[in-house]
Amino acid sequence: MRVVIGEDETLLRHGLTLVLEDGGFEVVAAAKDAQELGAAVAEHLPDLVITDIRMPPSHSDEGLVAALAIRRQHPDMAVVVLSQHMQRRYASELLAASNGKVGYLLKQRIADVETFLADLHEVAAGGTALDPDVVALMVARAKRSDGAVRNLTPRQQEVLALMAEGRSNARIAAELFLSEKAVVQHTSRIYDSLNLTLDGDSHRRVLAVMRYLSHS
Amino acid sequence: MTGTSRGVPLAARLPRGPRLDYMSPDAVRSSLGKSLDRSHVVILCSGLLLAFIQAAMIPRGGPVPPYLWMFPVVVLSYFGAGVRAWHLRPSNHLGMIMVYGGFAVFLGGLVSADNAVLATAGGIGATLVLSVMVHLLHAFPSGRVHGRISKTTVAAAYVNSLLLQAPGYLFVHDGPAPALFIVENSMVSQTAQLMQSLLGAAIMAATAFVLVRRLRQADGPRRRSLAPLYAYGAFAVLFVPLGANVLAPLLNMTPEGLMATQLVVVGGIPLAFAHGILRGGFAKTGELEELGSWLSSAGGTRPALAAALSRALGDPSLALSFWVPRHGVFVTGDGDIVAPAAPQPDRGTVKVTVEGRTVGAINYDSSLIAEPELVRTAGQVVAIAVDRERLTAELRESHGALQRSRERLVDAADRERRRIAQDLHDGLQMHLVLLALEAQKLANAAGTDPGTSARATQLRHGIDSAAADLRQLVHAVMPAALIERGLSAAAEDLADRLPIPTTLELDLAGQNLPSAVESTAYFVLAEALTNAVKHSQASSVRVRIVAAGGWLLLDVTDDGVGRAGLHGGTGLRGIADRADVMGGTFTLASRPDEGTKIVVELPCG
Repeated sequence: MRVVIGEDETLLRHGLTLVLEDGGFEVVAAAKDAQELGAAVAEHLPDLVITDIRMPPSHSDEGLVAALAIRRQHPDMAVVVLSQHMQRRYASELLAASNGKVGYLLKQRIADVETFLADLHEVAAGGTALDPDVVALMVARAKRSDGAVRNLTPRQQEVLALMAEGRSNARIAAELFLSEKAVVQHTSRIYDSLNLTLDGDSHRRVLAVMRYLSHS
Repeated sequence: MTGTSRGVPLAARLPRGPRLDYMSPDAVRSSLGKSLDRSHVVILCSGLLLAFIQAAMIPRGGPVPPYLWMFPVVVLSYFGAGVRAWHLRPSNHLGMIMVYGGFAVFLGGLVSADNAVLATAGGIGATLVLSVMVHLLHAFPSGRVHGRISKTTVAAAYVNSLLLQAPGYLFVHDGPAPALFIVENSMVSQTAQLMQSLLGAAIMAATAFVLVRRLRQADGPRRRSLAPLYAYGAFAVLFVPLGANVLAPLLNMTPEGLMATQLVVVGGIPLAFAHGILRGGFAKTGELEELGSWLSSAGGTRPALAAALSRALGDPSLALSFWVPRHGVFVTGDGDIVAPAAPQPDRGTVKVTVEGRTVGAINYDSSLIAEPELVRTAGQVVAIAVDRERLTAELRESHGALQRSRERLVDAADRERRRIAQDLHDGLQMHLVLLALEAQKLANAAGTDPGTSARATQLRHGIDSAAADLRQLVHAVMPAALIERGLSAAAEDLADRLPIPTTLELDLAGQNLPSAVESTAYFVLAEALTNAVKHSQASSVRVRIVAAGGWLLLDVTDDGVGRAGLHGGTGLRGIADRADVMGGTFTLASRPDEGTKIVVELPCG
């Protein structure tokens, strides 16, 4: 799988490149800023773009802006945005601009190489990967203002969070040490409680959950 | 000369041409002023009429002494100079006195009229013009007679020329007013004449005394301006009565020659005095006196002081500044430092001093006011008020300087926080990612024994948790949302993380707020929300952030227990301080059980 990286810190750029190459990805370009990233993407048309949010010259949100632009120009290109912190707004913007193939993760997650690579594959395959931090933020917020979310059992809330992170039923089952059947039962109860329509497609499921959490 | 006139003006030259009328520019000219203009036209016409009558009365045919033709000219000279001075210095009485002088000269000229009634009137007022000249001398330059000696002397002069003149025609058979002749009594008439001479001498002595004293009290330039006028006036007053007995024999003059000379001397008086007040520098005496009386009545508040000066000097562009000795700068009334401007051709500056100490400066249009002395004099009239205002301006300047220094500190602190946050982001945070990656690689490396692998994974988890702590620290120093997206994103993020349901209303209208204002607003909001969470027991919080009209308004209202105060160690003190540092305001409403409302307004224009 061909990847273009956008990361201004040299050491991290190398580290990330190594992780990706060890994981079987082919890093075709590693850009130092948003402009270079745009050019590299246009030149190589990779399968996956991984970019930092904060990059030169202004060190604000140009990485995210670049990612959103890439999504618009290449709707089929998978984009994963990395950051040192999580913002609900960024998650919403990324999800709104996509129909899957999008990820928003803390940089620190790179170190958990296995999970990180799995998330990348998930995204590249059309799924979604949202960082547990930003999902927790949204679930906590929804619990404060939304009775339906508050009334879910703790276990259901855990499942809801994992659904929002973009996990498939199999991964949720593995993570919570449950059977896949139990997970399916939990999800259908959650759907009932929140009045969501059941959907097998993992990204549409994330979108529905995220939309629900955003509006609550 | 009294104390009040001591501060009266020095020589100053006034602008010429149409701009002379600067006391009453059309834009602000009152209907009263226009009425005054019209009355001046009427007076001038009367003067012309009188001069015409006087000329018409000169007998036709037969030998006519040529000096008779000079009477109407002298009448005109008084009327013309008087109306001109009156018009240009409406508040100065000298012009009016000169107009009186015109009537007096007209009366004096009637002595030789054919008509008995007119001749009688002439006889009554024959020496009136002398009193008018004495009056002018005492009233110069302010137009008002100040002090007991001056007032007595002027009154005595009028008594002398009107009352003591009377026996000269009442008791003399062929006196100047035969129609009023009662009975021949040379005893009374001669006594009266003697008294008139003695009183005349006393008047002249008193006048000389007053004038010499004024000259001695005046400073150099003013003395040089006053002396010739005083000398001329005194000479004229002496020359008219003494001419016949002293000068004519001395200079061997014919009576006609003497009369002509006297008329020239008398006729020159209004011209000289009018020139004196218009050009010789006693210019705005009346206005300056008004300035003085305004000072005592209005209390001289700041904008009013500059405005009064501007009005008195007729220069709308006039600017008053105050000296701050501590910093060696001039400041405006608002305390802003006045940059020392390069000398401009049409701007002049004079300093205002109190007891030799600079207290302020007046910057004026030198094309409008040619002579700095006038401005200096005006400045001296209001010097005490300027000094008083100076203290206020100095305070404002000092407050302004303090405020600017506090704002610089806030700016510096803001930059420093952003730099620290960025450094942590680029440095430590990134290194923790790499370290965790190394640890995980070690754990995953082929050939690592399971014990080591487990410990390496544990190490990675430890590093991750350190990174999470660091994220919180960085967030506290300067939240990423603020750096990346500004206040609205940061406020949203704050609300997201709050354990109480929070509604957020944002209206920043795409305004580009200064970063220090954004940071201050963010930390104010953070502290207010923290306060609500910790102390209010509120079930919901409403946040409103609006930028409009150069102000950023933050309103944080909760539905909690209220009772928040600045002294409870609740962080509200910190909010008040943050607002204050930025020159903003802080208001707190927190009645028991009515919730807490915190409103902070920050200037952001």
